[in-house]
Amino acid sequence: MSKKAAKILLVGNPNVGKSVIFNRLTGSDAVVSNYPGTTVDYTEGTFISGKQEYTVIDVPGAYSLEARDKAEEVAVRMLHEHRDATVVVVLDATRIERGLYIALETIEMGRSVLIALNMIDMAHDRKISVDDRKLQKLLGVPVVPLTAITGEGIMQLSDMIRKAQASDVKDILARAEGRASEPAQASGCAGC
Amino acid sequence: MLNSVTQVLNLKMKLSEMEFGAEGVITEINTEKQKINAMGIRVGKKLKMITKQPIKGPVVSTCGELEVAMGVDLASQVVVDVD
Amino acid sequence: MQKEEHPNRHKRQVVQGADMVLNEDQRWSLVDLLAKQTISAGTYKQTVWDVIGELTVKPLTGIPVAFAVLYAFWSVFGSFAGALCTDGFFVKFFDNHFLPWMQAIWPDPNSILYFLFVGDPLADNCFEAFGVLTSGLFIAIGVVLPAVLIFYLMMAILEDSGYLPRLAVLVDTLLHKMGLHGYAIVPTILGLGCNVPAITATRILETKKQRFIMMTLLAIFVPCGAQLGIMLEVIPESVGYVMLFLLIGYVVFGYLLSKIVPGTNPEILIDVPPYHMPQRANITKKLWMRTSGFIINAVPFVLLGVLFINLLYIGGVIQWLSDVFAPVFVHWFGVPKETAGPLIAAFLRKDLAVAQLSNIEMTQYQMISAVVLISIYFPCVATFVVMLKEGWKELLAAVGVLFAVAFIYGGIIHAIGILLGVA
Ligand SMILES: Nc1nc2c(ncn2[C@@H]2O[C@H](COP(=O)(O)OP(=O)(O)O)[C@@H](O)[C@H]2O)c(=O)[nH]1
Ligand SMILES: [Mg+2]
Repeated sequence: MSKKAAKILLVGNPNVGKSVIFNRLTGSDAVVSNYPGTTVDYTEGTFISGKQEYTVIDVPGAYSLEARDKAEEVAVRMLHEHRDATVVVVLDATRIERGLYIALETIEMGRSVLIALNMIDMAHDRKISVDDRKLQKLLGVPVVPLTAITGEGIMQLSDMIRKAQASDVKDILARAEGRASEPAQASGCAGC
Repeated sequence: MLNSVTQVLNLKMKLSEMEFGAEGVITEINTEKQKINAMGIRVGKKLKMITKQPIKGPVVSTCGELEVAMGVDLASQVVVDVD
Repeated sequence: MQKEEHPNRHKRQVVQGADMVLNEDQRWSLVDLLAKQTISAGTYKQTVWDVIGELTVKPLTGIPVAFAVLYAFWSVFGSFAGALCTDGFFVKFFDNHFLPWMQAIWPDPNSILYFLFVGDPLADNCFEAFGVLTSGLFIAIGVVLPAVLIFYLMMAILEDSGYLPRLAVLVDTLLHKMGLHGYAIVPTILGLGCNVPAITATRILETKKQRFIMMTLLAIFVPCGAQLGIMLEVIPESVGYVMLFLLIGYVVFGYLLSKIVPGTNPEILIDVPPYHMPQRANITKKLWMRTSGFIINAVPFVLLGVLFINLLYIGGVIQWLSDVFAPVFVHWFGVPKETAGPLIAAFLRKDLAVAQLSNIEMTQYQMISAVVLISIYFPCVATFVVMLKEGWKELLAAVGVLFAVAFIYGGIIHAIGILLGVA
């Protein structure tokens, strides 16, 4: 493998399962606990998918990219330091709205994004269903549902990482308001 | 009774002054809006006051699937249309 | 140096490279539009976890539960680590078999090597011997390892259940008076395991002021699991008093610092996640990671610590320091001048220092004062290093505060002893 390792950043709200996903992907031992703020520094790991080696960075959780505490500052800094990295935004399927905010912020940065829709098991228990296909169409970036603690969907996630792409909020807005119906994937370059 | 009056009029109230278990729709967030929004507490959302701690302790409320604790001064900046 | 309290400083950078950027309100309304079209919620029945979730955060039920949880934590810790493992097994093994064996096979009891590695040839227990391979191994493996193991287990359960944010809500009122807010309970509890990750965890606090106060209090008043374990073994009847003095110091000096340290102390604003059943796989993994971390990092340190202290004894350094500082120790702190030795050891490992204290002749109150002094006078070297990583200015300030606090509080404790007629 002569190709340089591609970089992936795992970002999202605190306590949505980023570290569980990180451990699943890389076989590492990032600390996982059930309270916001378990990860206050970044951790790196690697994995291989489809002959491509990836360096994954487990980033501290953030509610938005306007950092409130030092852990969030680390998150924002990581996003700026790794400009070429693909960003996997992890959402908690039971608390999607709050996660979508930082997902949009990341998309607005012009980053190549993939959404990991985690905690599908919890959503199921709580009778919440999320239309991931619809979300994917609206956002114009791939959305992968998964349950990280059981490992369900992790394979799909690692397969889809190379499909991560940038999207334009203008188009997202248009689609969400029903002004445009074409999904982003169809045109490939939604903005031009 | 006062209770029935509030039910009819839909009283506007600070979150910090709401009764335990009272519900309503958020109408205003006066300070630190961005910070509170980021936690998922936003104007137009339904909110339920769960509890507050004695001696000006924090207020805990749920907003959909979210449960958030905030200091009493922050809570007094969140205005709720109580039903 | 990190500049902070400029929440918008990244904003300009965010704008670059993007085609279109929404303002906050526009972004939230887009979120609403997206959510409306993709999420559908059925009717959800409350589960028993949700009910427990409410009960543990309401003051009337939550505060008694918090006391019960902490009490259970402490008594499991004491009975398992102290009584079951250490007294029931390791003390017998080390004192009756290992120590006599070492004393028998190591040649020439008068040699320096014997003194360094086996210690006192006449000792009949592993606290007194104070050799690298006798006391060192006994303290590290026999006393502290079972203590940290059980501590880490209970901490992992607390962490994974989702109880910590609720505890944070309950203690917020008190902590807010100390220039912090409730979430500072997270670094505090982590610190009771080990101060090193606790110092890093102060990053979850918003302002410099909060982080500085938290770091300083951690370094001074929060004893680590290793120290708790050895205290339970060496001074079981006085641990309560030591903890009380540390707790009072934590609250009082927290309050004073909140008045002195410039900066702001924003209110608590945290997410309270739903309870989860802790998963066994995750608990075992964390337990294994932390325990193996302890064995790899701490055990060699304890052994080296014993070696280092023994060398200082041989070189007469400790004797000299004891004499130089005798007036301060005896008259100001009210402890024997020999406390100088353990105080030096305390910089390497607090557990080692407490073990060493147990060999010094003194009254119970002197013992309590000496153990408190060991806890507060300086952080161990590992903690010192992570504090340095969080910023050297803060570290210097913290060290200044620390010496002042140790001096004042040590004197006050002595005075209290005099007033009570026990010093
Ligand atoms: N039910 C459920 N819990 C999960 C899932 N993924 C993570 N968790 C739990 O969510 C909590 C937070 O996970 P963590 O990886 O530490 O979140 P992070 O803060 O985003 O890194 C832990 O208690 C995990 O066990 C999932 O897919 N389903
Ligand atoms: Mg994490």
